[in-house]
Amino acid sequence: MRLPFYFLAISGGTLVQSTVVPVLGVGGIVPDVLVVIVILLALRRGPEAGCYTGFALGLLQDAIGGGPLGLQALSKAIIGFVAGDLPRWALTGNPVVPVAAAVLGTVADGAVRFAVLQIFHYPAAFSELFGSVILPQAGYNGLLAAAAIALPVFRTRE
Amino acid sequence: MLELWSRYRKYTRLLLVCLASFVLLSYQQSRPNGLWLAEGIAAVAAPIQAAFARVHRGAVGLWTTYLEWKALRLDAERLRTEVTALRLRQLRQDELESENVRLRALLALRERLPVQTIGAEVVAREWNGFTRALTINRGRSDGLDRLAPVIVTGGVVGRVMEVRGASALVQLVTDPASSIAGVVNRTRAQGLVEGVAGGRMRLKLPAREEGVSPGDLVFTSGIGGIFPKGLPLGRVTRVHAAAGLFRIADLEPAVDVATVEEVLILPRGVLMDLNGAFSEG
Repeated sequence: MRLPFYFLAISGGTLVQSTVVPVLGVGGIVPDVLVVIVILLALRRGPEAGCYTGFALGLLQDAIGGGPLGLQALSKAIIGFVAGDLPRWALTGNPVVPVAAAVLGTVADGAVRFAVLQIFHYPAAFSELFGSVILPQAGYNGLLAAAAIALPVFRTRE
Repeated sequence: MLELWSRYRKYTRLLLVCLASFVLLSYQQSRPNGLWLAEGIAAVAAPIQAAFARVHRGAVGLWTTYLEWKALRLDAERLRTEVTALRLRQLRQDELESENVRLRALLALRERLPVQTIGAEVVAREWNGFTRALTINRGRSDGLDRLAPVIVTGGVVGRVMEVRGASALVQLVTDPASSIAGVVNRTRAQGLVEGVAGGRMRLKLPAREEGVSPGDLVFTSGIGGIFPKGLPLGRVTRVHAAAGLFRIADLEPAVDVATVEEVLILPRGVLMDLNGAFSEG
């Protein structure tokens, strides 16, 4: 039961991100639906499921998007793991928690990617990237998470 | 060892995943043409992506069509409202223009007439078949006299029959009780122009008088002292054979009294010939 669900979430999420989501861009900022999926699934299924889902989604995203393979797999695996561990410290039943997790997760995802990209001598400055890409995307993802927690599949357990 | 593994299992797995990511990252550094894994995933994903994109484009197209249709419907509704408003405005403008034309013509006639006249507006109509009368918005306070002739640019409308404080009743030339002395313009044959119950008029001539034929114009003769000479009354449409003492000719009124809205009231007892004012108009 779980495996088809994960398969659907991973493949569907990646396809949606690469085809439909770019249309939802506002002022050049496109949300990262996959971060929201990883965070919400991790909050519900735990750190290991979050880590694997993040890795799989990120890997697919890297492969389809043409970026360095493993970059988003790494960042999303980490945020999936941390988000999955969150119910130990926070009351995830409170709707603020998943929304805040999506915002902070997006920032963390951006920061990890930037840090890893330094190995490959990525040219842009972090401050520039943070202000013009990561932060607006984090806000957008927060809004998406707020909308998504209304769906039963993403509703976190008390 | 097993206990240690189960205690730190999740961290170990995270570490393994991170390691796998780093291996992938490092490995592809040495292969600038790309990894077979990425190529494989892309090869599988590309057709699905294409199908997805097609469905998405179709959905977006449908949505756009719906939005356009909605916008067009709103536009059509707005335009319909605008057209209705413009039609109403046009009707009002036409009405004003027609009123303007009538008033200008009446004003021109007033200026041509050598006597002082009073302008009045028709405010009511008595239209029952037995009597035919108009109520005008001028009365005693405006200096109106009983039996004063009422005219428009086309000719005679009738005479003031009853003067009230601020209004007056005008007996129309088509009223069955109306009788005005008339003359056939072409032959100068004289007779009486009377109203007929159906809203028309007739010219009653002595039986021996033969100088009338269809198409002849009939004017007031000035006899009787109420209507001045030379005001148009109507046109002969048919002449009946003489019967008894009289010969009857049907007249088409010079004025369509049903559509009269503004009139001029002449002073009573004007004896001069006013035909010049009408023929100039």
